[in-house]
Amino acid sequence: MIEVKDVSKRYGENVALSDINFSVGENTVVGFLGPNGAGKSTTMNIITGYISASGGSVNVGGYDTLDEPVKAKKLIGYMPEVPPLYQDMTVDEYLNFVYELKKVTLPKKKHLNEICAVTKTAEVRGRLIGHLSKGYRQRVGFAQALVGNPPVLILDEPTSGLDPKQIKEMRGLIKELGKNHTVILSSHILPEVQAVCDRIIIINKGSIVADGTPFELENGSLGAHTITVRIDGETAEVGKALKALNGVKSVRAAGEKEPGVYEYEVSQESGADVRRAVFSTAAAHGWPILAMSNGAMSLEDVFIKLTSASYAKSKELPQNAGEGGDEE
Amino acid sequence: MKALYKKEMKSYFYSPIGYVVVGLMLFVFGLYFWLGVLRSYSSSYIPQVYQAMLIWFMMIIPIITMKSFSEEIHNKTDQGLLTYPIGVGTVVMAKFDLPRSIPPTTLLGSLIPVVIMSFFSSPAWPQILGTVLGTLLYGAAMVSIGIFISSLTKSQIIAAMGTFGVSILLLLIDSMASSIQVTFLANLLGWISFTSRYQPFANGILNISSIVFFLSVTAVFTFLTARKVESKRWS
Repeated sequence: MIEVKDVSKRYGENVALSDINFSVGENTVVGFLGPNGAGKSTTMNIITGYISASGGSVNVGGYDTLDEPVKAKKLIGYMPEVPPLYQDMTVDEYLNFVYELKKVTLPKKKHLNEICAVTKTAEVRGRLIGHLSKGYRQRVGFAQALVGNPPVLILDEPTSGLDPKQIKEMRGLIKELGKNHTVILSSHILPEVQAVCDRIIIINKGSIVADGTPFELENGSLGAHTITVRIDGETAEVGKALKALNGVKSVRAAGEKEPGVYEYEVSQESGADVRRAVFSTAAAHGWPILAMSNGAMSLEDVFIKLTSASYAKSKELPQNAGEGGDEE
Repeated sequence: MKALYKKEMKSYFYSPIGYVVVGLMLFVFGLYFWLGVLRSYSSSYIPQVYQAMLIWFMMIIPIITMKSFSEEIHNKTDQGLLTYPIGVGTVVMAKFDLPRSIPPTTLLGSLIPVVIMSFFSSPAWPQILGTVLGTLLYGAAMVSIGIFISSLTKSQIIAAMGTFGVSILLLLIDSMASSIQVTFLANLLGWISFTSRYQPFANGILNISSIVFFLSVTAVFTFLTARKVESKRWS
């Protein structure tokens, strides 16, 4: 549904986006994560045709956003970070204005009633937008994106300014819309992205540093991860047996947690899952396992690791080394 | 296009701007008409009233054009307009329509007493209609310049002051041209002088080159505004 190919954006010397590539299929909710200034809003603005890319192309529903902008825009409902609301219009006037501007052919009254019902703006339809609270303005901004029932929804921080109850409702609504829409949303709230999105794209300094499902990002995509196991048995023997298992990189005794019971941190190789083997080995030796936990990284840890300067630097080193090797 | 025009209409007439502009212009016209025509019991001064009105139009145009794009840029509503499935040309044309229609509406209103007076005397219709047409063409060109200036800034004050400055400059350009010694420069200033282009209309002459000039200025600044709005995509 959306194909972003080698898209870059420069503002003079400053590179906002550097050759990013990704595609999003139908009925998927994709979350854009990244620190401030990473390039999330720039990417969204390019997809919606608000700004042009310095290089590359964006295709929405088969239409190039540069060659056929009107056709591409017809498929997109966009809610920018600051919703484009006219303070001197009532909510009803505004939605009617957007309806006419988008040249929607759906039955007007029914369509706008449905939008107001799902965005919970029906009770403020007669009020001036300038008199609404931030939460209501945000919802009206979301409502305008839904006008015309476009198959692609692009939402820049859709829950910003909402109270916890409204955030929960909004997340539910986005998840529901994701069943028959392609949704791209950006957010700083990691649990939100985790709860709503089928797929997460992490952007840092204008480049995509990770792309996968929340599960993929939390488990193993960043190299070896660790499980923690508490075993009642002779320390040296347990350590030796665990070390001998396939897929185990290293074992570290993390101290005696209960009388005669030690905790071990078992570092696994990338992609390996040694939990079953640990269980079988312990059972074979008659060492009761009192606790075992998967030491997968939380999304927050993944995000911090991927967007930290030291990680970006460490990612560059192998590339440089590889280039050097090629030259040889 | 229709939706945008309706929105513009509401934004002018939901705020006092529209009423103040039209009301003030008609009031000033009435005042001049009373002082110049009714008190002297002579319809021969009617063209002069319309010529005086031109200056007032130039003063009022910055007020009707200042919010066109500045307000959209300031409130970031331009982001909505430019991401809806409509072309930039449509947005720009809709922005031009209403400010351009205010001077003709006001001038049409101002013709009512002249028509009534024509039952009792013989007003100089060629001069009157020529002055009205000249004012409309001059006004349309100034509206285009004002909207272009509005597209350059998000501050309505700066947009109004900029347009006001251009209005003053264009009104003074003739005196500037006469005081410049360099012939080429003096000729150039004389050529771009709006006032000298307007003068034939005031004399009741339908000057084709002046019509083409004013229409060209209007078209050029409409085009420049569209390019400026679109340039956001390329910045």
